[in-house]
Amino acid sequence: MKHVFFLDGQEIPFIPGQNVLEAAIAAGKNQQIPYFCFHPALGSLGACRQCAVKMYAHDSKHPPRITMACLLPASDGLQLVTLEDDVHTEHREIIELLMTNHPLDCPVCDEGGQCHLQDMTVQTGHSVRHYSGPKRTYRNQDLGPLVYQEMNRCITCYRCVRFYQDAAQGEDFGVFGSRNRVSFGRLEDGPLESPFSGNLVEVCPTGVFTDKVFRHDYVRVWDLQQGPSVCPHCAVGCNTTPGARLGTLRRIRNRIRPEINGHFLCDRGRYAFPYVTANSRPLQPRLMGETTRQDAVLRQLASRLEEGRSGFLGSPREDLQSNLGLFALADCLHAPFAAVTSSWAEALAQQCLALPQAPSLQEVAAADRIVVIGDLDSIAPMAGFAVRQALRQGARLTVLASSRTELAQKGDYRPLRPSALRDQVAQLADDPCLQGGRFPVLLATAETLGPSGLYALRKTLEKLPANARAGAFVNRPNLFGAAYFAADGHTERLQQALRQRKINHLLCLGADPLGEDWGAGTWRTLAPGLDGLTLLDMVDSETARSAEALIPVAAFPERAGLFVNYEGRIQAFSPVYRREALVLHSAVQGSGFPEAAGGLKHPIGPPPPLFWLGRLAEMLHLHEAWQKRLDFYLHFLCPERPDPEGPGVLLPDTIRARFEIAAVPATRTVTPEQWELDIFRWYGGETLADTADELHSLAPARGLRVHPDVQAVAATLHGPCGDLQLPVIACAEMVQGVIAIDQEGFAELGLYPGDPVEVSWEQRQ
Amino acid sequence: MSSPTSIVDLNDASLLARLQDLVAASPVPEAAISEVLQVLQKARGYIDGDALRLAASLTGLSPVRVEELCTFYSLVLREPVGTHVLRICDSIACHMAGAQDILTQARQHSGVDLGEVSRSGKLTVIPHVCIGLCDRAPALMVDDQALGPVDTQTLTRLLAQLEADIWKPS
Ligand code: SF4
Ligand code: SF4
Ligand code: FES
Ligand code: FES
Repeated sequence: MKHVFFLDGQEIPFIPGQNVLEAAIAAGKNQQIPYFCFHPALGSLGACRQCAVKMYAHDSKHPPRITMACLLPASDGLQLVTLEDDVHTEHREIIELLMTNHPLDCPVCDEGGQCHLQDMTVQTGHSVRHYSGPKRTYRNQDLGPLVYQEMNRCITCYRCVRFYQDAAQGEDFGVFGSRNRVSFGRLEDGPLESPFSGNLVEVCPTGVFTDKVFRHDYVRVWDLQQGPSVCPHCAVGCNTTPGARLGTLRRIRNRIRPEINGHFLCDRGRYAFPYVTANSRPLQPRLMGETTRQDAVLRQLASRLEEGRSGFLGSPREDLQSNLGLFALADCLHAPFAAVTSSWAEALAQQCLALPQAPSLQEVAAADRIVVIGDLDSIAPMAGFAVRQALRQGARLTVLASSRTELAQKGDYRPLRPSALRDQVAQLADDPCLQGGRFPVLLATAETLGPSGLYALRKTLEKLPANARAGAFVNRPNLFGAAYFAADGHTERLQQALRQRKINHLLCLGADPLGEDWGAGTWRTLAPGLDGLTLLDMVDSETARSAEALIPVAAFPERAGLFVNYEGRIQAFSPVYRREALVLHSAVQGSGFPEAAGGLKHPIGPPPPLFWLGRLAEMLHLHEAWQKRLDFYLHFLCPERPDPEGPGVLLPDTIRARFEIAAVPATRTVTPEQWELDIFRWYGGETLADTADELHSLAPARGLRVHPDVQAVAATLHGPCGDLQLPVIACAEMVQGVIAIDQEGFAELGLYPGDPVEVSWEQRQ
Repeated sequence: MSSPTSIVDLNDASLLARLQDLVAASPVPEAAISEVLQVLQKARGYIDGDALRLAASLTGLSPVRVEELCTFYSLVLREPVGTHVLRICDSIACHMAGAQDILTQARQHSGVDLGEVSRSGKLTVIPHVCIGLCDRAPALMVDDQALGPVDTQTLTRLLAQLEADIWKPS
């Protein structure tokens, strides 16, 4: 049955349970009802009194009365009016009250042009302030590098604190004072601690909280080029709206996607974007470290490929089409190809893919029994956010981890060594923590759990009720896409070919095999067998620095592409702007433009990987065959091209089923006396994000984290590929016997999470 | 609520025991926060940062939550005050009965801004929300004692008594 009420005589459809304002906004009628404190994701509060409507009763006994639309449940046949004088007066006078202390600073306010307060003030017709007394003023706080505060602009709608405390469950932000001296902020100056702090910028309907990174290179929002994109910083694939101007990216905003991120983004998703403007980003082709021209580097690469001794390495950091393009080229040349850098990572990807359909974050938020394995917030923050939403609805949370993470403090925490995680996961089916629920969900950080743990997770799932779901997360946007064509043993075959000198050249796409990627230790030992390495990438890395040829590629907001997220959801993104690059005159054919004058501004920045791969195929006279293969693979994985504005399409189960037969991963045994490795990450860390200065300034110090019962200042870890010396950081929240290091550390040692490790401690003097 | 003559150390065993008893007697630890703050304020004169953190850890609230309460309730002091605290109501009934004049007179007498300790160390004047004595407006509180109506003369007398340390609650 269709439900409707009437607003100024127009039918407004509603879903039972909605309030009048919510339904009116959903129907696009927000021009009639101004509002502030209501927010679709935060609900109603009735604090601002701005959303007045006049309600006519069905009988003549009750006179019409003015009431708040956000607090009025929508009901059939309700007659509401806003077009009468008393409603207008109410709207105008309330906004005048809210504006009593507001500074007249729209021209210098970062919110100007996208300000809900500005819009509502204009809409309601308030233009003259009758109050002539002194205005209340505040001292602003320094809230760190991401969010700027200007408290005088506050209208006390409480959206910020409802977001920060209730939705994000952060503990370092609150509302202080009473009466007309209410303020919102931290106990004392200092960076906001929540991984979701940047959302304050979007929930605040005024210019109190604005984007501090955008502020460094600000333009008015009506001058921004914007478009639909997908966050490239983890496997969740939150939808974003990048904004650019004059060839550079200025900011990232949320793009509402109910199934995934809803109205919000994590701080990595919002503030990692300066990787595209980082000085270290390669923008021009380099050959032996020297800047060169496109055709020179292509010629060099083509001649390498013609020798027929090349191997190909894709990456879960690159999008689906680019990986497929590389795969297709390898295929045409009958060359070995791998999508990930180590057999461990390959097994991990296969086990991730073999899991049955994962729940969307919207579904996670509706779960009533949740088990989180590892530090979810540090890998896929918005998945942690969804868990918090489930907690607000009374879900029961159990966290299995080697450290008491923030999420662990909100539920039942089971401290476990990484090697014990697998056994615990294997027994979860009979565990009381999952009993008695309607909808159990298990969420794992894939790397901490490891391939054998993920296998155990799948087996546990088979024993749980049919509606139980599981998801595995990594901080790569496309592990699930890259891995689809990584058959058993691909990586091993590629490394074998190198060992046996069948290949002497490696063409890598978005990978860092000599730096921080899994298995980098092994690659480093194989590197002497390489005559040359060519890298296509958008970020500076160890591999980029040692590559014979470096080919810059467009960053994600600068091109179209597809990512496959942790659910197997294929999402498309569109090019939002064209990067402009400064090109030295010597690099531009026939240009006499003097270098001293700053070179020539090239109108177009680096092209996407597919452009380079296509050109290569042409030069090798393989273009037709390459294109055919590429189209075929693409059609196979993604028969229906998703619309960037839509919810994406899910990979068919048949493709998923291919991976269920993958080899059962080997399990490692660790004795209780041995030190065990776990991975340490933080919510803002990820390869691209690490080059974003403001966000990276919040990164925790590098070191070896261990329980404080170890009295050492430093330690050396010994691994099969080398030693690693790190300062010791005592961490009371950690399980004894566990050592947590970053991914780079694992790469240097040649070890994986859950591995035993030899340690030499350097005792305190 | 006058300042204590000696400030109790936060590690004082009997103070801690008293606070722990309050928390234990409360149905949920958080619910004990206002009593915990009262006891701490009695013992130390005001809630300093350390006392705030102690209250937070005893009740399991975050320090931000405790500060929210402290700043919401105007009876909680977050800064040191003089020997006596004069809270002058400036809500509507008192405002209409001339509270502003009383407030101005008291502030001028103290010689410092509202909320600050007078030079003599005897007095802190704070504007305050309605103290429920609207029928005797303009009203004020001297430490724990409510008085009203107050006029210029009674205030002059009161201030003199406070300065001379001879004021007694009735
Ligand atoms: S700071 Fe912004 S979001 Fe918070 S109450 Fe004020 S206007 Fe509302
Ligand atoms: S959760 Fe992942 S995809 Fe979403 S905004 Fe954060 S980093 Fe990006
Ligand atoms: S939006 Fe309804 S009272 Fe604020
Ligand atoms: S208004 Fe002053 S006591 Fe109520």
